[in-house]
Amino acid sequence: MTRDHIIAKLRDIMKASSQATIEWGKVTEASTVDSLGIDSLAMLDLMYDLQQEFHIEFEPEELVAVKTVGDLATFLEQRGA
Amino acid sequence: MSERVVITGLGVVTALGHGEKRLLHCLLNGCSGIRPLRGLDRSLYRSRNGAQVDDAELAKALTDRQIRAQDRTVDMAMLVAADALDDAGLLPNPETPPPPQPIATVFGTASGPAQSAYRAWTAYHEKGVKGVRPTTVPRCMFNAVSAQISMRFRLAGPNYVVVASCASSTVALGIGYRMIRDGHARQVLCGGAESMFDPGYYACWDALGVMSRADNPETCFRPFDTDRDGFVLGEGAGALVLESLESARTRGARIRAELCGYGESSDAEHITRPSLDGQTTAIRAALDSAGMHPRDIGFINAHGTATKANDLCESQSIRAVFGKPADTVPAVSSKSYFGHLIGAAGAVETVVTVLCLEAGRLHANLNLDHPDPLCNLCLDSSAAGDVRAPTAMKTSFGFGGNNGVLILRKAGEEE
Repeated sequence: MTRDHIIAKLRDIMKASSQATIEWGKVTEASTVDSLGIDSLAMLDLMYDLQQEFHIEFEPEELVAVKTVGDLATFLEQRGA
Repeated sequence: MSERVVITGLGVVTALGHGEKRLLHCLLNGCSGIRPLRGLDRSLYRSRNGAQVDDAELAKALTDRQIRAQDRTVDMAMLVAADALDDAGLLPNPETPPPPQPIATVFGTASGPAQSAYRAWTAYHEKGVKGVRPTTVPRCMFNAVSAQISMRFRLAGPNYVVVASCASSTVALGIGYRMIRDGHARQVLCGGAESMFDPGYYACWDALGVMSRADNPETCFRPFDTDRDGFVLGEGAGALVLESLESARTRGARIRAELCGYGESSDAEHITRPSLDGQTTAIRAALDSAGMHPRDIGFINAHGTATKANDLCESQSIRAVFGKPADTVPAVSSKSYFGHLIGAAGAVETVVTVLCLEAGRLHANLNLDHPDPLCNLCLDSSAAGDVRAPTAMKTSFGFGGNNGVLILRKAGEEE
């Protein structure tokens, strides 16, 4: 899966989890996860959807260092997405 | 001193469409929303017709209200809540979120967010424990229906759901009525929502054997008819803003009708078989609550499920309480137009009752070709007719022996 493909899928998944009205077409790799309306409850859904979509498993604490959409894409690439 | 209770906002979505105008038009013109089951393998079920809300129309309506789809029951509840609040002039501007309003939210539902529950169990069945979504609890809890409404529209009065099977939303309206009458609230958003057209829930209803197995979707649902063989499952939602008369007048709100009485009871006998004693107790209590006599009632919007047991027992109950006036007070069932909405039935049919009072027109009993002589009521209504007195009774009787009865009066008659 290419990085662009991962970013596109991430955008769709985060859109479903987000509580905010966001212009998702303008979300870039530099966008922070916090700015996308992902609260703690939505983060649980986001992690679930990522694991289901990319067929990987991870623990919540493994995402502590993730701040941006790009960080998340890199994490998923490293896990073989 | 008790407060008088009026209705200042309506919202509705059923298989007949979204909105009250479409609903009334279909009712007065004999249009049915019942179709062959959609989205299910019809060959698996004995009852193969349904009254399902159009997916595209629902999606558009949700988009127009900026409501993001999450669960079909919750979605429809949110939609009609927005419509009813808008109708009442109480809808917050989404661009400038207001401070919380002291409005209560009481909704009825029999199966809650059933779509989410079905998804959760399917995921568990397919993937085991790791397939369970972490937010399954807040998605599936029944009070998600009222809580999501409360959060979205900033309604900070109490919010909860009433679960009383087919009487759920009638009881919700009764509770809202009492909250205002007794001075505990000035405004209550009441309603009901239901959707159970997933393979599992629908199989449960199919197995119970209470739904019609006739083929023709247009004619299979036949309340009070000799040839009736059960109901057709429907889905949808209805919402009504209840308000003290004083509050409505102070705001200059448009009064759609008065809710002037409520009675309830439990059969305390059998989980599915209706009871004459239970139903008559609720009907008498409603009339007493409104200070009315049966001869004061202009028409009855009956529960009318077209099961052999319900229609017979309901007819006997009404006859037992009404006596001679039952010969002349028309009784109709709305369910043959848009299906049996179970927990949402009472709210949607109360919306229908308000619309009929406003229009001064009563819809016909659709598919009543051969009235059952054992259902000894004034059922002679092959076409829509005029409402003869500005008051109505709405009955709802649910599995579990839950009985709820409302009395309504046309707006402008509240002096």
